[in-house]
Amino acid sequence: MERQRSLRRRRRAERPLAQKIKDCIRNFIAFMFSNVGIIGLVVGYAIAGAFIFMEIEGSAEKPHTTNIAKNREQTAASFWNLTYTTNVLDKETWMRNVSQILLDYQSFAVDAIRDGYDGTDDTDYSKQWSFSGAFLYSLTVITTIGYGNIVPRTAWGKVATIVYAIIGMPLFLLYLSNIGDIMARSFKWIYATCYLCKGCPGVSRRRAERRRRRAEEIEMEYGLGGVPDWQLSDEHPVSDGSDDDAVTDISEESFDAQTITVPVTICLTMMVGYIVGGAMLFAKYESWDLLNGSYFCFISLSTIGFGDLVPGDKIYSSGEGFDIELSFIFCSMYLMLGMALIAMCFNLMQEEVIHKFRTTVSTLKYICRCNR
Amino acid sequence: MRETTAMHNGASWARTMERERYYRSSVRSRGSSSTSDIAARQKIIDCCRKLVAFMCTQVGVGGLVVGYTVVGAFTFQYIETIEENPALEKVNRTRSRYAYILWEIANEQNVFNETAFKQNVSGALKRYQDEMVVFMKKGYDGRTVQDMWSIPAALMFSLSIITMIGYGNMVPRTPWGKGVTVLYAVFGIPLYILYFMNMGEVLAGTFRWIYTWLYECSTERDEDEPPRRVIVPSSASLWVIGGYIATGAIMFAQWEQWSYLDSTYFCVTSLCKIGLGDFVPGANINDFKVGSQTKLVVNFVYMLVGLGLVAMCYNLMREEIKIKVKEMKEDMGQCLEDTKMRFISCANKCRS
Repeated sequence: MERQRSLRRRRRAERPLAQKIKDCIRNFIAFMFSNVGIIGLVVGYAIAGAFIFMEIEGSAEKPHTTNIAKNREQTAASFWNLTYTTNVLDKETWMRNVSQILLDYQSFAVDAIRDGYDGTDDTDYSKQWSFSGAFLYSLTVITTIGYGNIVPRTAWGKVATIVYAIIGMPLFLLYLSNIGDIMARSFKWIYATCYLCKGCPGVSRRRAERRRRRAEEIEMEYGLGGVPDWQLSDEHPVSDGSDDDAVTDISEESFDAQTITVPVTICLTMMVGYIVGGAMLFAKYESWDLLNGSYFCFISLSTIGFGDLVPGDKIYSSGEGFDIELSFIFCSMYLMLGMALIAMCFNLMQEEVIHKFRTTVSTLKYICRCNR
Repeated sequence: MRETTAMHNGASWARTMERERYYRSSVRSRGSSSTSDIAARQKIIDCCRKLVAFMCTQVGVGGLVVGYTVVGAFTFQYIETIEENPALEKVNRTRSRYAYILWEIANEQNVFNETAFKQNVSGALKRYQDEMVVFMKKGYDGRTVQDMWSIPAALMFSLSIITMIGYGNMVPRTPWGKGVTVLYAVFGIPLYILYFMNMGEVLAGTFRWIYTWLYECSTERDEDEPPRRVIVPSSASLWVIGGYIATGAIMFAQWEQWSYLDSTYFCVTSLCKIGLGDFVPGANINDFKVGSQTKLVVNFVYMLVGLGLVAMCYNLMREEIKIKVKEMKEDMGQCLEDTKMRFISCANKCRS
């Protein structure tokens, strides 16, 4: 191996162009599967999906518009007929008949709205399928959130959704596991450096001394034979092992951050904090109240995605279309970051939870006098 | 638990408790001897332990999931039907207001000018329709809450929460409902994941057994060849999933008068847990009026079994993919080595 490497190094000067290109390609592929590359891949996939769906759905004409306009004219005509025949002398009958017709018209409108009519009579269907809307749609498909506020209407759109989901979901899972891993590593490092001060030698020495003193006190207290074996094994599993750790900590200045377990409470606090922070942001931005904001954040991040509250709804109903792009992009950013954060927290929590679970099981076994 | 019952039974238990404590320590230290009341206790403990063990098995977890959804269904039905949707009342009021507006138009124009009349009425209707759009956005859909939150529908809603599908055709409207939904999801999702893992393992085991059996039946095997572990090819599990989706597609297409594309789209987006919610079986208004809600129940069962099947495929394909990836890595390594050698020889030739 060593000789090979030196061989290659010597050869580097006169290596041919093809080799250089090949190296380049190999590096590129390796980079694509690395952590930065996978983010780019997911974002690129979502952007590609956005363009595809824009192309497919945006070009399709709105089927309901003509239908609704026609129905409205018919209703107006029936009013005319009604007024013509009964005349305006008998208000009671007239009102009753009009109410009936309006009720029919209303149920028709409800059906139409449920099928995707959104109140605009003009035929630009592209408002819903703007770039940011389509981007959010493709993101909700691959993250399996699926709000359902925007859905494909055409047959090709549905087929594209199926294919897009089948390819995109494994990609997103890859993204999650990769990003979760790297974020967990960096968070552990930050936690160790900032909070535990493992990096600075004075603190770690003092800490180790304190720990040793405590262990000695425990030993003094129980004597040598009096310590019940379960207590040693369950409650102080650290005190046995960490003495050696402490010694090594003092002897060598460097430390390994990856051996530290971050407590579960910090992870939970981070998740709750992220949800509450998002809730406050959305509440300010979308003029929801705080309950609705946190409900939206939770439903989105747990990938349930009801879609009853979606950012940009306020702007839809007020009829201005300029700010909706920003709110969709902001929502997508929030989702991608949040899911990575949750993956990180699960990554951090799992070993701690497994440890806790084992301890609980052995304690339970002790309590139940299970000798197995 | 045991301690508290003993306390309640009074002083007569005190002595036995003492004795038992003594025995406990003695049992622990020496590992011997038991008397009759300890045997009875032991039996109860064993029973409890068996119950817990059973609850952790497949049937127990399945039952737990179903029970949890049933409890959730009743809870949500109770919470959401306490107060009537205010939008319903508002819509009625709006309708009568517009009837009055129309009356005014009719009065003003009278019946002499047809075009002006129609124009005005059309304008009023357009405004009315826009208001309806706003109402619909706020969750009005022409049903009272009692119609909407029937038991099968609420069951479907609870399932869609804990499986993270989230169709969104029914959503909690009250603040209490929202809070309970969040809590319900926090406890339900881990439970569902447990079910997913468990079900995947069981179904994978069964499927592997069936596949092995069929495989051994169909192929002639030498007597002296030792039976080896058969790995189910991923195509087989893909066929199973494909068949399941096709079955569901045909079933829903027949029932709901959807096109085949629509029902395939529904099945795939549901089983992938996307749940866009534009197609939901048994959720259109006419069905609610007729009262046929068996579809919802069948959909519930279809979803539960289907998600189990997905878990099975995941379980089966994981090992195969692991092997494939390892093989591919080896292949890639060999290929790279090979090309490197070729390049080196090529470079040597060029130099010489």
